[in-house]
Amino acid sequence: MAPDHTPTPPLVFTPRPSAPPPPSTVGVMGWLRANLFSSVPNTILTFLGAYILYVFLEAIISWALINAVWEAPNRRACLDAVGRSGACWPGVIAWLPNLIYGLYPKDQVWRIDLGALILVLWALPLFLPRVKSKIAIGLTAVLVYPFLVSYLFLGGEKGWIWMVLVAGSLATFFWVWLTAISEMRTGLPFLALLVRTLAGPDPIPERARLVRQLAWAALFVTALVIVSRWQLVEVPTRLWGGLFLTMVISGIGITFSLPAGVMLALGRRSSMPLIRGFCVAFIELFRSVPLITILFMFNTMLPLFLPVGVEVDRLLRAIVAVCLFAAAYMAEIVRGGLQAIPKGQYEAAAAMGLGYWQSTTLIILPQALKIMIPAIVGNFIGLFKDTTLVSIIGLFDMLSMARAVGEDTRWLGLFIEPFFFITMIYFVFCFAMSQYSMNLERRLGGGQRR
Amino acid sequence: MKLGLTLLAAAAAMVTVSTAAYAQQTLQQVRTRGSLNCQVGLPTPGFYALAANGTWSGLDVDMCRAVAAAIFDDPNRVQYQSVTSAVRFTSLANGESDMLSRTTTWTAVRDTQLGLEFAGVNFYDGQGFLVPRASNITSARQLDGATVCVLTGTTTELNLADYFRANNMTFRAVTNENVNVLVETYLGGGCDAYTNDKSGLASRRAAFPNPNDHVILPETISKEPLGPVVRHGDQNWGDIVRWVLYGMIEAEEMGVTQANLAEMQRSTNPGIRRLLGTEGNIGQGMGLPADFMVRVIRHIGNYGEAYERHVGANTPIGIPRANSLNALWTNGGLMYAMPFR
Repeated sequence: MAPDHTPTPPLVFTPRPSAPPPPSTVGVMGWLRANLFSSVPNTILTFLGAYILYVFLEAIISWALINAVWEAPNRRACLDAVGRSGACWPGVIAWLPNLIYGLYPKDQVWRIDLGALILVLWALPLFLPRVKSKIAIGLTAVLVYPFLVSYLFLGGEKGWIWMVLVAGSLATFFWVWLTAISEMRTGLPFLALLVRTLAGPDPIPERARLVRQLAWAALFVTALVIVSRWQLVEVPTRLWGGLFLTMVISGIGITFSLPAGVMLALGRRSSMPLIRGFCVAFIELFRSVPLITILFMFNTMLPLFLPVGVEVDRLLRAIVAVCLFAAAYMAEIVRGGLQAIPKGQYEAAAAMGLGYWQSTTLIILPQALKIMIPAIVGNFIGLFKDTTLVSIIGLFDMLSMARAVGEDTRWLGLFIEPFFFITMIYFVFCFAMSQYSMNLERRLGGGQRR
Repeated sequence: MKLGLTLLAAAAAMVTVSTAAYAQQTLQQVRTRGSLNCQVGLPTPGFYALAANGTWSGLDVDMCRAVAAAIFDDPNRVQYQSVTSAVRFTSLANGESDMLSRTTTWTAVRDTQLGLEFAGVNFYDGQGFLVPRASNITSARQLDGATVCVLTGTTTELNLADYFRANNMTFRAVTNENVNVLVETYLGGGCDAYTNDKSGLASRRAAFPNPNDHVILPETISKEPLGPVVRHGDQNWGDIVRWVLYGMIEAEEMGVTQANLAEMQRSTNPGIRRLLGTEGNIGQGMGLPADFMVRVIRHIGNYGEAYERHVGANTPIGIPRANSLNALWTNGGLMYAMPFR
């Protein structure tokens, strides 16, 4: 305890700063070492793979881009210029409108573009922030949009029923955007906002209903005036083709197959023998027959049973066939999803006092659909590609159009280039679908829970 | 939705009209519909070619247009149905097509067992072989043991087997249903010879990188009389198609062309007067106006004009007509119309 004892500074442990990792294990070098050159066999395989990739890509790029011909009056000119070493793109360029729109009159294709634009605009609010009525908007996009767009595509004489349906559809479109805008700015749906503005913050229910009805009537009349001024030339479905036709068939097939598949799957698990029997018969019948057979049945056999003079549109027959087929497959996917839901969920729902539809729509389906996303999207992608089969029954989808390029007298024999081109289109669409499904899965977190 | 309404209407009609006369005349149906449903094949140069602007043209398409012209005085009132070979006869039998004009070979089995009626021949073809010049093959007899590229599902495949069997030769077939794939295989050396109807060989060869490196062998191994087909059972409709075709051939024989039609209508030659309906009334028996051939020639021309326009020597297809079976009988060919009287 001597006071003169100067205290030694406390011994504090100061760790030496850790040495940086050896340069060979970090950064690009480290990654390369760990993944590509970790051992002698791996190194050999890496070089082999790189070589194969190089040969492959070099051949494709030099054929498709470097040696390619971009301007020529016919295939003979291409052959004279580069022979077979380069692609002959002018043929594809000349046929590009047909590959995309089929034989649709070229001065009318703006209708297809407009239809696609409306679909994008209709679905856009679903991706905007602060929009709350997403379910209603999504439902109208599926249920109401088709009226507007089918008139746009088909054109022709419109009777008053038809006109009312189209006008209703257009009015709904206005509503979608008014709602989206008002919800983004004020947080209230358009009609609620209107009620509050016109009838005060706490109006009597009758008054509020009147305002809503008047608003709808105003929208409808506006739409009716617009629609009644449209004079669209009729374009029969036999002129539809190309990517447009592929999109129409697969779009309708996809939209129809999911709800129909859910209903069929629920029906198959139902305890009512009649419904169960029908669903089982339907699913098994359509699943045990190839799509091409169904298409043939609908396309060549059906007219035999119809009386003379009755002609059902060829495209309609193909669409119905694709829809029924897709629904049967979807039903089994959905059934798989339903069976993955533990029994406890059903029992818990029943214990809460929920009825069949409540427990199905609120408890079971949301969980089941979430885990089924990969299978459902896989089915959609398959359906999108299966639509090429309609080329066999004489519809000019994108594949038939690509074949027709090589039969055009000016471009005779040109078939690798158009096929290469539509391969790209198919890839873009299928890849986009699969990416979207992965995005959806991540957002909903369906993957991690199980 | 309009499609949906159509389906509903169809279902309703099925119930109410089920007893309607099934044997309703095809001509009447075509008139009611306002257009002719004419079936062609998948686009094929020269016969039913689809251009980038979406129009159909060709020798067989002209047959459709000629019938439409005879009925409506408007060759454009045709709805073309482009169907694969596999379903062509079903699509005719089920009433979807009114006629079929698509290089279909007239054979006994088809004529007698498929409920079809051949309305004549508008092109005589025959199957041949295409080989590389470098192979030094000059006759089909030298093809023993060869690999042959052949279109599947057609008479071509059967003829090939028949020919090799009849000559005690063997072959290996490379089949595909797409001509372009076969041609590509042939050009890539995947087969020693490519076989098809000679008209097809000529047009394909013309599109090769080096057409002169390939030769068409002299042998013709099959008879391929190609012509329009109608359903069995409506004789009158068959007559219309048949006599429109004969009329076009007869017009060529008489020297009636699109250009000199007006002048010919004033002709005193009784044969020409009967053909053009200035004398007699041949059309009446078929339910057509007397001057139905005037309409056909005004819009389409005679057979020779249609031939030269689509497959003749000056087209990319380039099948010379002189000294071929497709020349008029007066020039040593087989094109012979039954007399108009």
